Amino acid sequence: MKSALHNMNPSVKFVLVTICMFTLAFFFNPWTPLFVWMGVIMMQLLFSRIDWKMWMLFMIPFVIMAFGYFWTTLVFAEDKSGPVVLSVWSMHITEVQLNHALSLSFRVLAFSGLSLLFALTTNPVSFILSLMQQMRLSPKIAYSILVGYQFLPVLKDEFVQIQQAHRLRGAVQEKNVFRRLLNMRKILLPMLAGAVRKAERAAFAMEARGFTGEKRKSFYTIIHVGKVDGYMVSLFMLLIVLSCTSVLYIN
Amino acid sequence: MLEVIRFDHVSFRYPDEEKWIFEDLSFSVEHGERVVITGPSGCGKSTLLYLCNRLYPGNCDGIVKGTITLFDKESEAYEPGEVNHKIATVFQDPDAQFCMLTVEEELAFTLENLNVNRKEMDERIRDVLELTGLTDFRQSIIQQLSGGEKQRIATACALIMEPEVLLLDEPISHLDPYTAKQFISWLDELQKKRSLTIVAIEHRVDLWDSFFDRSISLESMPGAGLLLKREISKQGKQALQVCKVRTDSFLQETSFTLEKGEVAVLAGPNGSGKSTLLKTLCGLIPSKGTVKPSQLGYVPQSPEFLFITKSVKDELSFGGGNGADILLERLHLSAVTEAHPFAVSHGQKRRVAIASMLCDGREIILMDEPTSGQDAASLSELAGLIDERAREGTTFLIVTHDMEFAYAVADTLLLIKKGYLTGKFSADSVWEDEQLLTAHHLLQPKGWMAREVCFA
Amino acid sequence: MLKSWKLKEVVLMSLFSVVFGIVYLLFLHVGNIWSGFIGPIAYEWIFGIWFIVSIICMYIIRKPGAAVISETIAAAVEVLLGNAVGPRLILAGVIQGLGAEAAFAATRYRRFDIWVLMLAGVGASVFSFVYGYFMGGFTVFSTGYVLLMFGLRIVSGAMIAGVGGKAVVDGLLATGSLRGYAITRSKKGEARA
Repeated sequence: MKSALHNMNPSVKFVLVTICMFTLAFFFNPWTPLFVWMGVIMMQLLFSRIDWKMWMLFMIPFVIMAFGYFWTTLVFAEDKSGPVVLSVWSMHITEVQLNHALSLSFRVLAFSGLSLLFALTTNPVSFILSLMQQMRLSPKIAYSILVGYQFLPVLKDEFVQIQQAHRLRGAVQEKNVFRRLLNMRKILLPMLAGAVRKAERAAFAMEARGFTGEKRKSFYTIIHVGKVDGYMVSLFMLLIVLSCTSVLYIN
Repeated sequence: MLEVIRFDHVSFRYPDEEKWIFEDLSFSVEHGERVVITGPSGCGKSTLLYLCNRLYPGNCDGIVKGTITLFDKESEAYEPGEVNHKIATVFQDPDAQFCMLTVEEELAFTLENLNVNRKEMDERIRDVLELTGLTDFRQSIIQQLSGGEKQRIATACALIMEPEVLLLDEPISHLDPYTAKQFISWLDELQKKRSLTIVAIEHRVDLWDSFFDRSISLESMPGAGLLLKREISKQGKQALQVCKVRTDSFLQETSFTLEKGEVAVLAGPNGSGKSTLLKTLCGLIPSKGTVKPSQLGYVPQSPEFLFITKSVKDELSFGGGNGADILLERLHLSAVTEAHPFAVSHGQKRRVAIASMLCDGREIILMDEPTSGQDAASLSELAGLIDERAREGTTFLIVTHDMEFAYAVADTLLLIKKGYLTGKFSADSVWEDEQLLTAHHLLQPKGWMAREVCFA
Repeated sequence: MLKSWKLKEVVLMSLFSVVFGIVYLLFLHVGNIWSGFIGPIAYEWIFGIWFIVSIICMYIIRKPGAAVISETIAAAVEVLLGNAVGPRLILAGVIQGLGAEAAFAATRYRRFDIWVLMLAGVGASVFSFVYGYFMGGFTVFSTGYVLLMFGLRIVSGAMIAGVGGKAVVDGLLATGSLRGYAITRSKKGEARA
């Protein structure tokens, strides 16, 4: 039970999460996204072994972002009709405004909840393998992505080394974000030049081992679609239907 | 005997260049032979190898004249990927020849490419790991292994295809001497077990002893044979004082001094903390203790990591120092002052790096692995540069595992093991002491042995 | 379409995506939080950085599909690197990539000057804005605010992705490391003509 979300087929999970997000985009009441968000948390409590500390850490910026959406929607609202429910200083906030603001902020939370559910319960390599096996992603692209993934620690290390070398030469770190972006070019150049070399080497190594990019006949690691996917899809669908119709019985 | 590779009057050039990389080349390799192809950097060794496993001309749209026969079929007649499981390749760079995370996945990737039935895969993976003595590494994450281990994994990945020919692209150039030697004897046994044909390209055949039956020379080496031992240039005046330096995690308390004009080599096994010590000394890693002077020059393994500006000249004057013009001339960079620092040759890049350090008033130069992947010509150029600078009073601390190079340049050796500095020794006393060398994964330099023979 | 692609070109796109992925992760993390307070407009002026990979790759490789494929790979890589916005990025990546691709397709992949690159940045901005308008529910914002966001994003797409992307690649080209890619061949062709 506790591992149902981890055991789901990554492609199925991906499609499911995407469908949920698209459905949410059509709803402008606070309840639907709120229920989805809470439902998603419930699902993870029941069917996953995720690290909740990590979850909190990732969620913090989204909560702040939700707050940003909240006040923006209040201040820059298009539709200011309906009875006034709240007055702050000289600003009058109507019911419609408040509803919109809450629904957008909850939407941010629901989207992030869904994203996090996927990110925290999915093995990246299985995800790519599954895209290749279930979604017919070309092996040429799939394995190129995996190459990139396994180069991550090497490139990260290089990034730190270049930063260190530049610091030694007396290049100061800019506080100004815009300057920092411009300065980024200097770190990017050696990294990209190195990436070009590595890309060619890695590609040659793959081809030298008979990789042609053709569709593969057999896989060593097979990513299955199983019963657990069926159950989870039904549960998610139930959650979505309940959340979408919530307006009807709450009012 | 059966011919496996045959070149008849082959010429090759890149589509956007007029110059032929090589012209009218003919040779053949027979089954079971061990052949080495030699020549300086840029003479087309790699190109030749890529023509043997059909990576070229397709990958660079190169232009080929003449005929290349692989087994008994013309190379062009093969389907993409078809010939690759009969002619397998191990490349030079241990970091850039894998695409999966674990050893098992990487081996499986290779089998999938050959459309091997899934039921057979497990057995073949087990067999090849047994053959190569790598069974313990089956679940290891490749990027966490050492360079030597990675090269063995790469060889296992090549052998799992059950090839007839194994191509080697300078496979030991990134390994320390001890590991390189182990790799070679390991390969020697494999070749006998499997009766493989081995074709290698290598610019430093001396490290392989008598491994090869035959060598094909693409271009004669331009007079850069053995490195000559330089004379000691210590000037008796203390230039660097390191007192009780240590880091929180790895590096133990370290103290030593270097004199003006001294060339010291820092050596020890892979992962013993050589690079960490260098970075700590120049303040890139936070540490306790004191280093005097505090401003040290540092040249990383890839000198281009240091470059910030768009021209060699600006690179020198970036730190605000004076005398860039004089340094450009003294370090033989006058011809490239306006060039982009990334676009000059590797040797020039290193000189630009050293020059800009000197221009900033950093008279002590720490160099991290400047010898790795360098051919004989550029090694002797580097040795010459160090000698010249040291005579003018620059102090060097150099990390290298190239013993011939260390023998040629070092006044003193600093030996390090597991983050602990064993001590500072005069170079000759280290070369004599085989026990000390073995304890630090080092080998006696051939230059030293030759001298001993003379004396005997 | 993929048949005409060399493996080294696809791997190149993937490694470039990782490089930019690291840049995003390490550099924009801090900015993330305070910009959260400012609301959806905070990111608009910097939005072009998300499109830069597609423009860089197309400018170097010059094959139909380079923009879409690279932007999709970039998004997938982003998911692998553990970006919490995860799955939403992949779809957004495809759509942004299509926007940039449209500009190159309109010139039949023949012109790669600064104007076309800027146009590609604008294309990516327009496509991504339409997608964001729908998913983010921008309908509730006042028209003026939405227009301001849209304007900022277009400028950012043209400047950061178009002009910035060109600057990065031209810098890389000057280092001589792009030998064997379409951009070097065409530059040589121009020089000869």
